[in-house]
Amino acid sequence: MAEDLTRTSHGGGRASGPVGTAAFVIIGVLLLVLGSALRFGQPERIAWLQNFFVVFGAILLEAIPFVLIGAVASAIIEVFVPPGAFEKIGRLPTVLQLPCAAAAGMAFPICECGSVPVARRLLRRGLAPGAAVTFMLAAPILNPVVIASTVVAYHGRPDFWVIVLGRFALGFVVAVAVGWVTGAQRPDEILRKGTVDPDADDHTPEESRRSRFAGHIAGDFIFMGRFLVVGVAVAAAVQTLIPQTVVSKVAGLPILSILVMMILAFVLSLCSESDAFVAASFTQFGPAAQLAFLVTGPMIDIKLSALYAGTYSKGFLRATLITASVIILAGTLWVAVIWG
Amino acid sequence: MKWNARRLLAGIVLAAWAALFWFVLLSGRTGLYLSTRTAWLIPAGAGILTFATLGRLASSRSSDPPPVRRSDLRGGALLVMPVIVLLALPTSTLGTFALGRRPVFGPTAPSGGISSGTLSMVDVARAQATKEDLAALQRRAGETVVMQGFVAFQPGEQSGEFLLSRFIITCCVADATETQVRVVDVPAGSAQANAWVQVTGRIYPFGSQVIIDAMSVKPIPRPADPYLTG
Repeated sequence: MAEDLTRTSHGGGRASGPVGTAAFVIIGVLLLVLGSALRFGQPERIAWLQNFFVVFGAILLEAIPFVLIGAVASAIIEVFVPPGAFEKIGRLPTVLQLPCAAAAGMAFPICECGSVPVARRLLRRGLAPGAAVTFMLAAPILNPVVIASTVVAYHGRPDFWVIVLGRFALGFVVAVAVGWVTGAQRPDEILRKGTVDPDADDHTPEESRRSRFAGHIAGDFIFMGRFLVVGVAVAAAVQTLIPQTVVSKVAGLPILSILVMMILAFVLSLCSESDAFVAASFTQFGPAAQLAFLVTGPMIDIKLSALYAGTYSKGFLRATLITASVIILAGTLWVAVIWG
Repeated sequence: MKWNARRLLAGIVLAAWAALFWFVLLSGRTGLYLSTRTAWLIPAGAGILTFATLGRLASSRSSDPPPVRRSDLRGGALLVMPVIVLLALPTSTLGTFALGRRPVFGPTAPSGGISSGTLSMVDVARAQATKEDLAALQRRAGETVVMQGFVAFQPGEQSGEFLLSRFIITCCVADATETQVRVVDVPAGSAQANAWVQVTGRIYPFGSQVIIDAMSVKPIPRPADPYLTG
């Protein structure tokens, strides 16, 4: 049980010694200087900087509550679910386990930022790695809110059923496939070193459930939050500096248009509950390219990559990126062949 | 039992975020970042963060607490930095810089709401996106409308014309798409780039372009909800 800031000291496996009061003062002064510079330096007069800060703030303010909701769910699992509950599920045959995990994602109406802490907690509580990963990837794309937003965005369009059913089916297949590929690893191989270190926790067994519950929420928020801030900053910079309209030049090229829309989904880092409306606006792209955008974004994007990198091993990140990309590309190429 | 500095530091970080969410909520700045559809996230975030802060601070004493490490402090500082940034910066919105860099509002189902009632910029966006809504708008050609937005000029724009512009968001500003309507017969000197204005005039759809023949162009302060929800 590694919680709070204690975990950060083990995050990268690097040595990190204790600090004195002077370090707190220096950090405090630096933050004060930053605040004063922003307040009185009028950076908003620089158009691209203003654009960056607006997008950065918006993504963070939208994502943080979902991370918190995920942290609450994660704390409930840690404190209130009896030990061994998930190990029983892990004893089911893989052929049943992974589809069940993907189906469980349908009942979890939360976007991708919230599913990462929950999956991490499930792993640490004994759920089989393949099932935890499948759940993590399936929940943001198969949940009812996302399906409803896709239905609304594409309602009345000729490619309505291709997009809605295609997103659901391809999302399901990719989640199960990545779970299957990564499922052969042990939890301590999948999780980044430090996140499974029992010494990193400073909770004692005699502490009340209430105290441990609050501690787990705080711990997950702080652990995930650092990576989210970095990921969101990169996504906001890309949104600011690269016009989305540049992609329209490749809209007519079959394979390239799919690849470009996958890359666009990766860099934009949109919430899975809103990305259908953005995908629908790329009218110059066919249904296959739009579908690639809709399946890629909730599973692999910049902010998620930062969260994955902080939570999981490099091997996991590599396997997820490659497996998901290949299956999405193959699946959407079939859609392109059949529906254009 | 002694004070646990790591837990206190975690409590401070949580308190900073709780303060930011309460600030955004109470200062009415939600509309600068989120759509009306996702505005509930701000009070929800404020509530959970407050609960987590109180919970963490209430349990900040423990036996044999470990010392705070450099990486704890670095992680805490990184998390507090966005709070400082968002609290310190003056309020701002997407403006002319973002126009042309974002996709145009895309076609959804015909709304059916254009046939009657007050016309808005969202109706204009829908009319530019679907044939049914365009037909509905064409039936209302010549009606007087009142629309708000910010002023943008295209390179080589004729004098007496500008593009009244708005961004439409679904969840947050990151998914913003743009919509524009050309305003003609603009009184000289009444429109500055990026300034918010209220245009009163007659609306005429020409092909996929919508034009407002201005009767008046009045400067207005930026609305509390500068983005439209699509």
